[in-house]
Amino acid sequence: MATAEVRFPEERINGRRASAERRPAILRLLEAERSEEIFPLLLEEILALGYPRALAVDVNFDTGDITPAAALKWPRQQLEKFSTALWVSEHQLVGVLHSTQPAILNKTTIHNRPIYVHPIYYSNRSLCWEADRIRTGSCLAVQNFRKEKRIRLEEQVCPTCDMRAYAAAVIVELPKQSAAQGIVEHAELAELIELANRYLSRLFKVEHYYNRMRDMEITIAQMGTVMQSMADPVILTDTQHRVIMQNKAAERFFKVPDEMTEGLVRAVELNNLLFSAALSSMLVSGTDAHRDLTLVDAIEGEEMLFEAVSAPTYGPDGIQIGTVTVMRDVTDLRRADQELRANYDKLREAEEVVRQDRDRLNLIIENVGDPIVVCDSESKIVLVDPLAQELFGTSAETARDTAQFQNLTRLNTYVGSFTYSFAERETAPLKLISPSLKQEIEYDARSGKIFDERGEVAYTVTVLRDLTALRKVEQLKVERRMLEIEKFAATGRLAATIAHEVNNPMEAIKNAIYLLAGAVPENAVPVYNILKSETERVARIVRQMLGLYRNTEQVKPVNVNTIIEDTLLLLNRQLQRVNVEIKTDLRTLPDAVIAADQMRQVFSNLVINAKDAMSKGGKLIIRSRHIPGRDDLHGWVRILIADTGTGIPPEMSRTIFEPFVTTKGEKGTGLGLWIVRGIIQNHAGKLSVRSKLGQGTVFRIDLPVMKL
Amino acid sequence: MTAQGKYRVLVVDDDASVLVTYRLILEQEGYEVAACGTSREAIAAVEKKNFDAILCDYSLEEQHTGFEVISAARKRNPDVPAALLTGYATNETADEAEAQGIGIMFKPIEIEEFLATTSKMLRRDNEPKQENGKENDSTQPQGGGQGRQQRGNGGVGRRRTAGGPAKS
Repeated sequence: MATAEVRFPEERINGRRASAERRPAILRLLEAERSEEIFPLLLEEILALGYPRALAVDVNFDTGDITPAAALKWPRQQLEKFSTALWVSEHQLVGVLHSTQPAILNKTTIHNRPIYVHPIYYSNRSLCWEADRIRTGSCLAVQNFRKEKRIRLEEQVCPTCDMRAYAAAVIVELPKQSAAQGIVEHAELAELIELANRYLSRLFKVEHYYNRMRDMEITIAQMGTVMQSMADPVILTDTQHRVIMQNKAAERFFKVPDEMTEGLVRAVELNNLLFSAALSSMLVSGTDAHRDLTLVDAIEGEEMLFEAVSAPTYGPDGIQIGTVTVMRDVTDLRRADQELRANYDKLREAEEVVRQDRDRLNLIIENVGDPIVVCDSESKIVLVDPLAQELFGTSAETARDTAQFQNLTRLNTYVGSFTYSFAERETAPLKLISPSLKQEIEYDARSGKIFDERGEVAYTVTVLRDLTALRKVEQLKVERRMLEIEKFAATGRLAATIAHEVNNPMEAIKNAIYLLAGAVPENAVPVYNILKSETERVARIVRQMLGLYRNTEQVKPVNVNTIIEDTLLLLNRQLQRVNVEIKTDLRTLPDAVIAADQMRQVFSNLVINAKDAMSKGGKLIIRSRHIPGRDDLHGWVRILIADTGTGIPPEMSRTIFEPFVTTKGEKGTGLGLWIVRGIIQNHAGKLSVRSKLGQGTVFRIDLPVMKL
Repeated sequence: MTAQGKYRVLVVDDDASVLVTYRLILEQEGYEVAACGTSREAIAAVEKKNFDAILCDYSLEEQHTGFEVISAARKRNPDVPAALLTGYATNETADEAEAQGIGIMFKPIEIEEFLATTSKMLRRDNEPKQENGKENDSTQPQGGGQGRQQRGNGGVGRRRTAGGPAKS
């Protein structure tokens, strides 16, 4: 009740008295607009009834204090006596307040004249609107009016509308002559006070509603601020999923922006559609449902992922009136999550690869068959394979014998110097003692460095190759080759010897047959011819045996191009089988006087070499040119045979034309190029080669030609 | 050249049968032929007489070679054309022969080649002689002649004997 200060409206009352006619009290009281105007009006009316003075006290429920709220004609200095508190039960005024019944107090310490005390409480005959609407009888005003229970001043709060009630008392000094009268004599006064109380209750209620409204507005404003200040979209929708309210963050997605572009409008429409679809599905699935929702930011145009959490809102009657949806931006979260997942997968994959690599590496190390030692930066052994373990012992110090100790010292010296050298890899001989054989073995130590992230040596890996075994194999190979050569030479010598021995008698026979030519009787001519031709055949065989390629074939003018073509025709299938592409560029050539068979041998040797150098396919280019000489009489036929094969190692380029030199390992005889060179030289030709390792080889043949 | 206008050819071979047949063939061609079975015999012959051509087996008795015979002949007549007849010659032998202007014929020898080579050797030797009207004192041996020989293919013979380096 807004009666904080005591009012003493005597002046005004005096002024009003001037007016001749007074309106009835009911109407005068009705004029009160506010609750605090009731008491002054009431007191005036009381005095108008003829009472000398009146006073109203008010109970403050917060403090329990009882203080005068308004007074009329009451001496100011006496008002103090009416200031008390609810718990001061010996105060006569307090007793009357608790009793809830009007009373006349005759001889009191608080006033020297008899007083009429009429307690008033918030009361009403009918239910207030609120109680009426929710159909409850527990309205404090009605309870107080009916006085069904004893009014307890401590419980003056309405259980329905939560309103703090009021309690007050109107104190009226009785005139001397009426002191002896009973309370019944003052019925008119009581009625006036009750009437005023009814008005007061009504005004009080109105003021309460107004205050509540003000409080609510503040609360709403505060809630609105809270809602707007939320970075996450918050949307209140009705049961039809229509947006009732949304904060700024939500407007970004669901409100058509001011500067409309078609795309944005469509985006907003789509967002709304998605949102109401999500709401529907959430409603179906349950109350505390949440959904992932992808929306398009109408301002930035970016796609964002939200997690929408909806909760139904209920009216006071318990019926759902809408849904509150709060959306959490989980775009970054999901992205981070996805990245995390992807990284995790990658990690697992990498781990798998590493594991496989390690297994493979272990398998390799186990199967290398050479001792392998891994040392740290201090040349201390970190890892050894079983073979190295035999040489250096296990990492446990105890198991070493003297040989292993010596080996370890030598290894430390070697690895130490390698670790501090600038070389990343090194190959050096290292002599170690075989613990089983008790003899020194020369190893070929091949070392490499493993660097840490700072570029410093973390580990060194040393693979030891037993050179004695290797050398033995090498020696065996050489011996075998020597044996082959020896065998070949011996065969050649034998053949030559036989041929030589046969040669002279054969020469005599041949000559003799020639001499007999004219002296053969007619009937013996066929026999003579057989004798002659068979002898010639024997002569040819002998010639072949005497020289690798010196045969009886006559040299005669031949077009070299035809020989090249013949050779390619013969080898075409072989070349195709290994995917060798043949390119020929053969120009018109003058005939060269050559032995065609030998030249065929030359070309086929070179083409086969080219093919063998291109096991993975490649190109074979054959080119022929006539190079006229300066004198217009002599000249050269030049043939180039080029391949895109492996090439000849530079260190071999000097020796390839020597017999028994081959790049093909066991496969080659090492005779091909030697024979080629022999034939070309025999034809007074020139042979040269150019080669680049890994790129290919070009053979050039120049054969002399002469204009006939 | 003999008084009858025949070319005088020396044939040396340690194989008697071969030697006989060479002599018969050459005689059949109309040459005057001296046949020797050993180097010693041959050297004695070249020291006594001038020859127009020498055809000499490479390997003779007791490690002797045809070079010795030809050298001996050239002491008397530095320009005498000569050819080695051999079944087998090393590179060195062939190089040496070439260096000395000696032809090589490999056994078994085609008789056509044998005769062509011989006649060519004689003709080459003869050309300046016909111009100068002198015997056996011609200048340095020149390249092959250009005329046609009575038998065989001169071109081939030239290549075999003088041109191409022999190769084993």
